[in-house]
Amino acid sequence: MDKALLIQLGGSIVAVILLVAFAAWMGVARATPPLDAEAARALLTQEFPEHRPNAVWIAADGAGVIARAGDLALVLWRRGDGYVARDLPWSAVAALKPTSGRLVVRLPDARPVFAVNDDVWPPKELA
Amino acid sequence: MLKAPFDPVQLAIPFFVLAIILEILLGRLGKAKANYETRDTAMSLSMGFGSTVAGLLVGGVIFAATVWIWKHRIFTIPMTAIWAWVVIFLLEDLTYYWFHRISHERRFWWASHVNHHTSTHYNLSTALRQTWTGGVAGTWLLWLPLTFLGFPPAMVAIQKGISLVYQFWIHTEAIKRMPRWFEAVFNTPSHHRVHHARNARYLDANYAGILIIWDRLFGTFIPEIDEEPCRYGTVKNLGNFNLLHNVFHEWIGIAKDVAGAKSPREALGYVFGPPGWSPDGSRDTSHTLKARWRARLEAEKASSAP
Repeated sequence: MDKALLIQLGGSIVAVILLVAFAAWMGVARATPPLDAEAARALLTQEFPEHRPNAVWIAADGAGVIARAGDLALVLWRRGDGYVARDLPWSAVAALKPTSGRLVVRLPDARPVFAVNDDVWPPKELA
Repeated sequence: MLKAPFDPVQLAIPFFVLAIILEILLGRLGKAKANYETRDTAMSLSMGFGSTVAGLLVGGVIFAATVWIWKHRIFTIPMTAIWAWVVIFLLEDLTYYWFHRISHERRFWWASHVNHHTSTHYNLSTALRQTWTGGVAGTWLLWLPLTFLGFPPAMVAIQKGISLVYQFWIHTEAIKRMPRWFEAVFNTPSHHRVHHARNARYLDANYAGILIIWDRLFGTFIPEIDEEPCRYGTVKNLGNFNLLHNVFHEWIGIAKDVAGAKSPREALGYVFGPPGWSPDGSRDTSHTLKARWRARLEAEKASSAP
């Protein structure tokens, strides 16, 4: 590999690091306040427009939502400054066991963690 | 004739960096809409860097194929003629339109292109979220007919670079609309926001590179409407910020589906069908998502009618 190319690649890595640091320092991410009932409903409507959840539970830290629509669990969790949505069988979610106030949902591409009060699962809102 | 005397993309890199800094500053000062999330930005910029490295790895093969085609060309088009630059501008942009369309509408090529769309943000760093697997996907083959026709490889490379540089500035929410005449002819931030949106209304639209006229001509143009702001990313957004997952997830998905296919026809459907295709139709494609969105819209209209 020639020297000029190495310098260019090295310079690119430094530029990437500096730009990411600058973006972090400036703090221009979207605001993500803890979800309340209204915000959770709005998010569910947006992500699951064909489902009408009959019960909605908001994580204790407001960073996630699990709703029940018949046999389906509609799951939303905060990733960065946005939310990711997945649906999975309610039976799989109901069978989970929280430990130390954390409910971990195992998905093929993520392990979202939901804050649960008193390790009670499923909570009364979804039971 | 074979090697471009300059690379527009290389020349534009300092401008890219300065423009990103400016966009972040404008967002910070509240002068423009610009959101940057740290890990999302890191992913976009790392993809850009990795794409350059991946380009070096497959560049030799692409160059060799181009040289071979050039040796068998029909005409020899002079690089110094203005008319030749006008024609290459139009033909390269038309090629880009079809490359981009196939990259969205057929899963094999979507697997390579999807990672440009995985950001849930729309800012100048998103423009640099480029593929690592484009060489493997073979989309570069689409530009070879230009060389076969007689356009020097250097000319094609320069025009491709110009197109890529043009497309950088349209990845922003800081610019709302350009003048009407400009919006009518050119790809703009507004048109390209639609292209990056995951709202059902906006799926599979605005494939243009520089000229939006191709979308208008081939029926894939959808305007941005203020009543429905664009939400960015893919229909099913990634669940993590893992760089390698972003690069390879759709390829892995294809491999898993093909491994589980019950017939060669099914396997072909998984590879070359539209993204989301499944033999029993149980998965969502852009087409089914749009159809259901239209049905919901009609139902809402019917229920609100007096």
